[in-house]
Amino acid sequence: MSARIAIAAAWICALAAMVFLLSPLLVIAAASFSPTPVFDLPLGGASLRWYARIGALDGFWPALSLSLQIALLSTALSLVLGTLAAIALARGAVPGAQAIAAALVAPLMMPGLVLGIALLQYFRAIGFNATWSALLVAHVVVTLPYVARTMIAGMARFDFTLMEAARMLGCTYPQAVRRVMIPALAPSFLVASLFSFLASFDNYPVSIFLTDVRAKTLPIKMLQYIDEAPDPTLAALSTLILLATIVLLMASDRMFGLHRMAGTGD
Amino acid sequence: MSAAGVPHLVIRRVSKRFGAATVLDRIDLTVARGELVTLLGPSGCGKTTLLRMVAGLDRPDAGAVELAGRDITRAPPHRRNVGVVFQSYALFPHLTVAGNVAFGLKSRGLPRARIEAAVERALSLVHLENFGKRRIVELSGGQQQRVALARAIAVEPDVLLFDEALSALDRKLREEMQIELRRLLRQIGATAIFVTHDQDEALTMSDRVAVMHRGRIEQVAEPRIVYARPASLFTLGFVGLSTRVSGLVVAAGEGRVEVDTEIGRLTAIGNFLVGSPVVVAARPEQLRPDSGGGGNSAAGRVRSTLFRGSSSLVEVEAGASTILLAQIPSDEGAPARPGEAIRLAWPVAETFAFPAPETGS
Amino acid sequence: MTEVVVPAPAPVGTVDRERLRGLAFLAPALLFLLIAFVTPLVLLLGVSVAGPRGLSLDAYAKLLGADYYLRVIWNSLRLALLTTIFALAIGYPGAFALARARGLLRSVLLSSLFLPLAASVIVKAFAWTILLRSDGIVNRILLATGLVAAPIRMIFTETALIVGSVNIFLPFMILPIYAVVTQLDPRLSEAAATLGAPPVAAFLRVTAPLTVPGVIAGVALVFSLSVSAYVVPTLLIGERYPTLASTIAKAYLLAREPVFGAAAGVVLLAIALTVVTLSGSLAGREAGR
Repeated sequence: MSARIAIAAAWICALAAMVFLLSPLLVIAAASFSPTPVFDLPLGGASLRWYARIGALDGFWPALSLSLQIALLSTALSLVLGTLAAIALARGAVPGAQAIAAALVAPLMMPGLVLGIALLQYFRAIGFNATWSALLVAHVVVTLPYVARTMIAGMARFDFTLMEAARMLGCTYPQAVRRVMIPALAPSFLVASLFSFLASFDNYPVSIFLTDVRAKTLPIKMLQYIDEAPDPTLAALSTLILLATIVLLMASDRMFGLHRMAGTGD
Repeated sequence: MSAAGVPHLVIRRVSKRFGAATVLDRIDLTVARGELVTLLGPSGCGKTTLLRMVAGLDRPDAGAVELAGRDITRAPPHRRNVGVVFQSYALFPHLTVAGNVAFGLKSRGLPRARIEAAVERALSLVHLENFGKRRIVELSGGQQQRVALARAIAVEPDVLLFDEALSALDRKLREEMQIELRRLLRQIGATAIFVTHDQDEALTMSDRVAVMHRGRIEQVAEPRIVYARPASLFTLGFVGLSTRVSGLVVAAGEGRVEVDTEIGRLTAIGNFLVGSPVVVAARPEQLRPDSGGGGNSAAGRVRSTLFRGSSSLVEVEAGASTILLAQIPSDEGAPARPGEAIRLAWPVAETFAFPAPETGS
Repeated sequence: MTEVVVPAPAPVGTVDRERLRGLAFLAPALLFLLIAFVTPLVLLLGVSVAGPRGLSLDAYAKLLGADYYLRVIWNSLRLALLTTIFALAIGYPGAFALARARGLLRSVLLSSLFLPLAASVIVKAFAWTILLRSDGIVNRILLATGLVAAPIRMIFTETALIVGSVNIFLPFMILPIYAVVTQLDPRLSEAAATLGAPPVAAFLRVTAPLTVPGVIAGVALVFSLSVSAYVVPTLLIGERYPTLASTIAKAYLLAREPVFGAAAGVVLLAIALTVVTLSGSLAGREAGR
């Protein structure tokens, strides 16, 4: 009997958690259609005017462009670094593999803020003043642990005898990587890319210390908008980003299932 | 199905459906106290499902299960006093060997001293004394198997269920375990049901074998009888090798029939009407080179000879689609060579006729 | 954070070439982290003890000596503790329900977990400011259901902070626990049942102990993320609840006190490191069981 109560309680928790987690997103989406500049819920009507105004936000396009560039490039770099490292760890010929793997993933739990100020001091100290490049380096540090964690887990499940079979059938090592390993690990690559991209695109605590007046990333701009003149344009922007993410998630689910991403590869 | 001894476990007209498929079809089985019965059959025949009914891990749609005089059909598993040894052992990784073995005893709320004594006794029965403090991950497959066994017998259950429990072991270890397990179960007077698809295991370990096919029990009998007097064509084919040839009954009487087949006229044991299509069969150890002693005989050309140490298995092509299988002891001279012509003979008393299967079944 | 799994080594004979290749593949990532992660942090440590005449612990004395800053540190710890406790209370049963779910329900539940992860903290915190206003949805619901007589002041209170914080970090508690629960062998609870344990006892004696690694990972992750949270407190409670994170930000962006900021950063880092090592050793003990 008490088992049934416990099970019912668990389901209530799950459903409550779901509503709880989704509510801010729904609020933002709803507010983006507000006909008035004030965030009034429930809405008196629906209007798309705020969506039209996104482009007119001060400094929006440069910020979007910067965020996209940094996110894409840091993801690409992390993928290379992280995958190579994962291969090395999976083959097991490296001493202290467990410790190295933990070290690669550790920055995830480090306060981003602290990383931000540390990098700020560091770049100043060594005279590294190129803002864009500094931002890129910082974001690779941010994204590499996500990639490393996913690729190490995925690589651990990869059967390396497939590579040996490919080489017996005439491939060189790089060819075998391209024709056998990459397709087999495609889900892991995609999950790693997804998490890495989002980690970089949404990053605030590291970026805030490395941007300057001319170069700001989108999250920093958004916080600025909230401070200065919050109006539903912001909600519209956020909703668009959310929609893009939904599309990405649906594609990922179609390709290999969200439950697999959650249960293992993550 | 009668059995000597006290009826201890009674399965009465148990049926189970999964969706549209009937997995168990009115199963009747009685197991006496102290008996070792094996459910033998190919995958999908329902043997594991039946075992789970006894364990309480699944419920039948119809029928009843009685254990030691109680009706346990609707009882949940934790109230049944049934021990289960799973194929994957299902040992609790967060507990030591002793912790695992003691688990069922702790569930019964026994005092600590009694639990420790029972754990020691169970571990010594499986020859794992002093393993109590070990962790599960440190054990080999064979050792894990014994711990799973000790855990199940520690609570002295009314019946022990083995769900393909030996199939994860390699062959040599498996054969050793079969013998040891049987000895141990006899020693503690346990009643046990094995589930396996391995006919050798079934024949070795059991007092009786229940051959299952598509949710029904085809035959329940001592291993000797299941082998030598199979009740159906399926049992004949599933247990052991055989020579089989189809034909039509041309004469019948006094429990025997004469059958016209493509390898000649054969006489077999059976009751059929003239004109019935039948399959005539015999076990390989019954076939010998014809020395004029009478009985059934057929001629053909040797296709292959498999030397197996104490005997050879000779395949003879006779007729367009009939293969005779003869098991010839090695001390009866060198076996025939492939390509040689040979005539084999076998006694009528060991030739059986079965109804021919419906086309498509 | 899930434990990293590293498989057994390759057979001897291939070792030399493999080892060389292994080290070559590992080098770029490790070198990069050494240069861009470890060195800056070490430098930070150095800056925090920089004084006008050589090494000085003045910054730490100020940070750990003044009542005000001790309260600031406690604020961060308290935020982390409360967030972790609530996230565990909701997330643990939620993870089990999620693991049992199938089909459409499972997809919907998983989406509700992943979607918020994809939205930036800023967006979500902002949404909560809208939700928790005096004329916001939450107050309207409370008034409509008659639970309160007048709108409650929620924004810029600790309640808002905790609610927002739990909201942001709940997925990080659920995912590691869910990962462990889905990998549990269902035969184990069947075995427990056949050994006489009724369902609740089987859960407490067999299932729950096996979920401990996931719980450790979730707790460590949520604690270390919430102790260093910056955006959430800033937007939802502001100056009323100074945290280590806001102290650091202020020191660098406003007050131009790099040494003090560095010291605060080192303290925050130390807290995070303690959580990581503790959870690592606990998990290691669990794995060794």
